[in-house]
Amino acid sequence: MKIIEIKNLRKVYNSDSVAVNAVNGVDLSFEEGEFSAIVGPSGSGKTTLLNIVGGLDDATEGSVSIDGVKINDLSARKLTDFRMEKIGFVFQAYNLIPVLTAKENVEFIMHLQGAGKKARDKRTSELLKAVGLEGMENRRPSKLSGGQQQRVAVARALASKPKFVLADEPTANLDSKSTEKLLDIMEQLNKEEKITFIVSTHDQRVVKKARRVITIEDGKVVSDERK
Amino acid sequence: MRTNIKLAWRNLWRNKRRTIITISSIVFSVLLASFMRSLQEGSYGSMIDNVVKFYSGYLQVQDSAFWDERTLENTFQPSPELISNIKKIDDVTLVSHRIESAALTANGMRSKPAMVLGIEPELEDKITNISKKITKGSFLTPHDNGVVIGEGMASYLELGVGDTLTMISQGYHGISANGLFRVKGIMSHPNKEYDNRLIYLSLETARNFYSAPGISTSLVIMTDNHYGVNQLKKKIGKILPEQNTVMTWVEMQPELEQLIQSDRGGGIIMLGVLYVVIAFGMFSVVMMMVKERKREFGVIHAVGMRKTKISTMLFLETLMIGVIGSIIGLFISVLIAFYFYHNPIPFSGEQVVSASEKFGMAPYLFFSMKPSLFYNQMILVFSISLIISLFPIYNIHRLKITKAMRN
Repeated sequence: MKIIEIKNLRKVYNSDSVAVNAVNGVDLSFEEGEFSAIVGPSGSGKTTLLNIVGGLDDATEGSVSIDGVKINDLSARKLTDFRMEKIGFVFQAYNLIPVLTAKENVEFIMHLQGAGKKARDKRTSELLKAVGLEGMENRRPSKLSGGQQQRVAVARALASKPKFVLADEPTANLDSKSTEKLLDIMEQLNKEEKITFIVSTHDQRVVKKARRVITIEDGKVVSDERK
Repeated sequence: MRTNIKLAWRNLWRNKRRTIITISSIVFSVLLASFMRSLQEGSYGSMIDNVVKFYSGYLQVQDSAFWDERTLENTFQPSPELISNIKKIDDVTLVSHRIESAALTANGMRSKPAMVLGIEPELEDKITNISKKITKGSFLTPHDNGVVIGEGMASYLELGVGDTLTMISQGYHGISANGLFRVKGIMSHPNKEYDNRLIYLSLETARNFYSAPGISTSLVIMTDNHYGVNQLKKKIGKILPEQNTVMTWVEMQPELEQLIQSDRGGGIIMLGVLYVVIAFGMFSVVMMMVKERKREFGVIHAVGMRKTKISTMLFLETLMIGVIGSIIGLFISVLIAFYFYHNPIPFSGEQVVSASEKFGMAPYLFFSMKPSLFYNQMILVFSISLIISLFPIYNIHRLKITKAMRN
């Protein structure tokens, strides 16, 4: 079942009156339960593509439909709510809220969704267990390692039971051990809970784990391989 | 909302030193502003108190025509019911009769025009503390036939205590008035004009002199709440007969009110400068807070927090700083002002002290405990916080996630 459908997507940046085609006519679709890696050199348009798919940036042309909803047509407020309900985000720099504990960071989105305390506690404890952070619930980000922070970020991304998770270079700041651990967790969540991951990366270890590898160059899809 | 409050509170303490410095600056400013205003208003209160006790009292009930044409024809006969009703009004502490006119005084070959004031000695003494200004002889008693004159007049007319003063004037309805009065006391009045020209008689003696039984030119009214004079005027006005009017000290001595207003204006400009400094201090903190957390705002908006909620959170943070600072400032200000209200600061320097005493003023710096002086500062800081919080709200409104996350 298709959950994301991208049609003729273009993003043009006008810097110093020179037009730069960051995304140049991309047509893609993603099925539920996929683990996809988007690869390509720096500046190829991976992050821009992910930002547009995640509703964080506007497209110059084309459309993105998620779960049958064309997100280009949503108002800013509806798009924010849509992101909260349907999309999980994992960022390169973890980007946890520094004043909240690991548990509070994970339940932050559930708070926004208005979930009750019981439901929040249950889901948070399941997720922190799944990412191997049991016993660290009450630590603030500053008391966690980079790998642990990124695992909290994965748990946060999954808290709202999104349709898919967009991860932008999630392993870029992690050491090998933390990378392996994070990837194992993501793979396990993908296989066991059918969570769809779309990961932009330079990291070959991520590429190895992915079942689909999309290569982008100069804003265009140059290859799309399924393993 | 609870999440927002929790987040705002924790965000406040993520840079403890900065928050403490900002709150301290607000505390200090509220303290300084309240202290300044309390001292300023305390001084005005003392000044008003001295001036009204000098002569006019806080309010006077007169015949409607008296203020413009001060003759004995524009007088009235206050009924005991009227006086009793005025005394019943809250905040009225004293009501005293006066009869006020002019006369020509003489002794031997010397003569001098004079202001004659018929008074109820005990009550008048409570108003003007005149007995304390007596330097020779003694003050009047209720049915006294004598007079009290100033040192200036005594010196000019070459009179001493026990000597006789001749007075000639025109009494009520044009009857001629003349009499001989024993000098009972000589006072040193701080006002040169009064010292040279004022003569005190008991009310009864003055009425007899002017052939005006039961007549008064005014009822002097005192209160212990000088801020409530206008309300008092309204209340008294309602129970007065048609021929009478009530005037406040401001109407009788507008120059004093003008002096206070202009001085108060100067003080408020100083406060304005102080608050501009506070506002810039707070603004710079909020600006830094917004700039350094731009990425974080991008992230929380990306994961689904609406801009309105982010704005609310920032608004709460700014508000919390303002409210905490102003409440602590208010508390300390009230404590300090309360101490100085009960223990006014004495003037130093013998000359200043004797000059103050000569003018019948206590040689102290007084403080006011008027509540509005304190809570107004709090309201001001609160309003400044509200205005400053518009900056983060504006910034969040313009937030672009991708740009913020590149920050």
